Amino acid sequence: MKKLLAILLALVMVFALAAPMASAEGKTVINVMSFTDEVPKMIDRYVELHPEFAEKYEISTTIVATTDNGYQNALDAALAAGEIPDIYCAEAAFVLKYAQGDACEYAASYEDLGIDVAAEIEASAIAPYSVEIGTRPSDGKVVGLGYQATGGAFIYRRSIAADVFGSDDPAVVAEAIGAGTQSWDKFFEAAAALKEKGYAIVSGDGDIWHAIENSSDEGWIVDGKLTIDPKREAFLDLSKELKDNGYHNDTQDWTEAWYADMAGIGEKPVFGFYGPAWLINYVMAGNSGGTAPGEGTYGDWGVCPSNVGFFWGGTWVLGGKNVVGTDKAEAVADIIKWITLDSSEDGLQYGWANGTWSGEQGTKDTVASGVVMDKSNGELDFLGGQNMFEAFVPANEYANGSNLTQYDEGINNYWRDAVRQYTAGELSREDAITAFKQNVADNFDVEVDF
Amino acid sequence: MNNTLQKKHGFSYAKYGYLFSLPFFIAFLVFNLYPTLYTILLGFTDSKGLGNITFHILKDDPWKNFRTILKAPTFALSIKNTFVLWTMNFIPQITLALLLTAWFTSRRNKIRGQGFFKVVFYMPNIITAASVAVLFNALFGYPKGPVNDLLVATGLRDSAFYFMNFAKPTRWIVAFIQFWMWYGYTMIILVSGVLGINPEIYEAAEIDGANDRQIFFRITLPNLRTILTYTLVTSLIGGLSMYDIPKMLNNGNPNNSTLTSTMFIYNQSFAGSYMYARGAAASMILFLIIAALSAVVFFLMRDRK
Amino acid sequence: MKLEKRDGNALVKAVIYFVCIVLAVLSLFPFVVMAINSTRSTYQIQQHAVSLIPSTHLMENFKVFSGKSFDPWRGFLNSLIVAVGATVLTVYFSTLTAYALVAYSWKLRGAMFTFILCVMMIPGIVTSIGMYQFMYRIHLTNNLLALILPAVYAPAAVFFFRQFMLASLPLELLDSARIDGSREFYTFNRIAMPIMKPAMATQGIFSFVGTWNSLFMPSILLTKDNVKTMPVMVAMLKGDIYKREHGAIYLGLTLTVLPLFIVYFALSKYIIAGVALGGVKG
Repeated sequence: MKKLLAILLALVMVFALAAPMASAEGKTVINVMSFTDEVPKMIDRYVELHPEFAEKYEISTTIVATTDNGYQNALDAALAAGEIPDIYCAEAAFVLKYAQGDACEYAASYEDLGIDVAAEIEASAIAPYSVEIGTRPSDGKVVGLGYQATGGAFIYRRSIAADVFGSDDPAVVAEAIGAGTQSWDKFFEAAAALKEKGYAIVSGDGDIWHAIENSSDEGWIVDGKLTIDPKREAFLDLSKELKDNGYHNDTQDWTEAWYADMAGIGEKPVFGFYGPAWLINYVMAGNSGGTAPGEGTYGDWGVCPSNVGFFWGGTWVLGGKNVVGTDKAEAVADIIKWITLDSSEDGLQYGWANGTWSGEQGTKDTVASGVVMDKSNGELDFLGGQNMFEAFVPANEYANGSNLTQYDEGINNYWRDAVRQYTAGELSREDAITAFKQNVADNFDVEVDF
Repeated sequence: MNNTLQKKHGFSYAKYGYLFSLPFFIAFLVFNLYPTLYTILLGFTDSKGLGNITFHILKDDPWKNFRTILKAPTFALSIKNTFVLWTMNFIPQITLALLLTAWFTSRRNKIRGQGFFKVVFYMPNIITAASVAVLFNALFGYPKGPVNDLLVATGLRDSAFYFMNFAKPTRWIVAFIQFWMWYGYTMIILVSGVLGINPEIYEAAEIDGANDRQIFFRITLPNLRTILTYTLVTSLIGGLSMYDIPKMLNNGNPNNSTLTSTMFIYNQSFAGSYMYARGAAASMILFLIIAALSAVVFFLMRDRK
Repeated sequence: MKLEKRDGNALVKAVIYFVCIVLAVLSLFPFVVMAINSTRSTYQIQQHAVSLIPSTHLMENFKVFSGKSFDPWRGFLNSLIVAVGATVLTVYFSTLTAYALVAYSWKLRGAMFTFILCVMMIPGIVTSIGMYQFMYRIHLTNNLLALILPAVYAPAAVFFFRQFMLASLPLELLDSARIDGSREFYTFNRIAMPIMKPAMATQGIFSFVGTWNSLFMPSILLTKDNVKTMPVMVAMLKGDIYKREHGAIYLGLTLTVLPLFIVYFALSKYIIAGVALGGVKG
């Protein structure tokens, strides 16, 4: 009984602790909502660099992880309750919902915030796909922009290129895989040539999926109806061709075997990966089996333009519509502008591209502004000293932002499972397509013709 | 049980029955009544779309969502999968749990270290389903992963096997994880039930010279009946709402072979189109199935005395 | 004849020990992997997710883990508040409700029990939408009470205690207490509850583990750093899908599970044996 009392006492303390915290002295509070601390840290940096801003405003940050859809659930609940954050972020997987889809009316257009957005986009040469995605269809206004640019290129092993194609020069490899042709013909010729010498061209079929997805002319849904673009349908055949000919190691992205291929210790040595700059920084470099040229595959990589244009991932920054017309509008606009549109050397993107934004030398990355890219240096030891921006700047131009829908994440999962079932011989081509259609019909509010 | 005394005093003490169950009921009213009613209402509306608070009650055709769900082949498949997965894990689970209970509560054959074993067997239940799913995904990785490496190294297979791309192996892995996470939990409940049995009954049986087997079947099991009912009903509810492991292990794949009914409901309501109305209708159908089956369990486990 | 039987017993025992040891290894395996992975770097984990060889990156992982915008100690404290609060409420009030269902006969007793069973069977997924919308509406977000108070309502625990009492609570004991002049509430606290110890410990463990690990509601309801619980913080480490810090995640998972061990071992003496039925004989 005494124990119980003690516990009850502790409970009383709980009540005290749980009482809402009082907010700070009379500054205007700007609410920020994000799924990582990346953007909040940028805003902290902005505040640090602008003391006059810090005197007037206080940033209140809310971070909810994307695990189990947590971020979207929390953001949606807040939006529906009218507690729209002043600044919020959306990841490529779900940005369509907030910029073009069901939740797009909660966002303020950049114009309404007081940003001369058309002129700024032009002046900074922002990657077109990023603008396309951030443009709300109902009024054609920009409501979100990214800071990173995630246009994809082909990242290949130099030693293998030299062995098979006679040179490790990006131009030679670009020629070999048919860079810019928007087709997979040359790619499969190269795959055959690589196979003769015992190499796999890619690690698994997931590696070409992002490129295929983004190269299609139409998205999954056109006028409320499921549409299978011929280029996406071709993924069935391309994936089967890769598997039947042994052109890959049959790995899944983000699994042990996939990472092993980056270190060159998979079943067959793998020639290359399709990906944006972050794949090099965050995934490949660490998994190359070394940290300096000569160790593992570190330094044995090069990057050249892809045969089909695509982008993969990225974060968009949006402003809440309740800000418009309040005394916060200017401050919110200033922060958003600094992150997404400022191409000066004091802007975020210059620091981000050169890996210096937080003060210390960090990883270099591609950014949305072409102007910033032009004056930045993308040389990496990992790529044998190559300036990766040479390949990624055009990649950002070719990436397509018009064939996406807000249901892509879910529909892609069903499609890739259907393709796996077909290539494994579990389902016929026709049955795989039917199974896919059935899934979409039963799980989405989309019309499907069988 | 001593019903006569109870009756004699029943009337005058009845108010305590109401009084003592009041906090529970109030908590229900405050926190759960609204969500529950809201869910029921949703099933009869056209509610869909995120943040879309306005919806209309389907006055002309109130059962539209129910019909849509019952007609969807994926829903039927998800119900079937749920039963298959539940049977595959529950039968071994309850068998092992009963066996362990018999071993650990035997008064003659003391198992040394049984305290340790009892404690340890529950431990898989301490880790979150997400971590467990990640672990098993890695174990059965393809074409590289500990299990495949072992199969190839020992010559059991020539090449790696893509477990998660075939229905049967994936189902067995899901069933095994469920079994492995929950047999200790079930065992603890059963053991606590046995500890609640009056030791005098056992002492009397021992004096009468009953052996272990007789004691287990004649004393332990009959006295465990109410707890077994609890185990069966809650396992049924838990099993038919199975979600975490199949979702996080392989997202219901391959080809929906591990798609459970709760995953189906989740997909309706959250993943994609936010068809809350359909999700609510599917929830109610699932509720009816669970309630009907639980009624059967109660009937079978009723006190026949 | 006698000799044969003893051999048979030895064989049975050997089988029992064998089975138990295999199961124990299977049970401990994931904890070993988790602990070892918290000393390995993200890239080591990506290359080989399961390893039994510890590495040297524990401090780096800790730096990543504690370098995020949240304070792990705060998260630990929040988790403790929620888990202890919810567990105490669940165990006490569920026992009380079950006691009402078993020890007294009242008109609506049957109806109440049927009601409890029904609410237990409602699939929670869709109901959760209404639940968090409601919490947002009454402004109980970013307040730990939103996760503690609803614990008074735990139909499954009530069901368990009721089933346990049906088998183990001798009603004549309550009657003799009444004859001695004991008040009803006192009888419950002093006579019924001690008999329920094994059941309360069992449900206490389940409830503590359940609330400690819960992620769905907390991650939606607790969005400010100062109220976040441990699992919500660990989930945030997974938020960035392109550069997940696997080492730090495993360290977070290990740190999350440690307090569970302590609570579990503290309560496990009640489920191990020997403390049953203190009230009946005494």
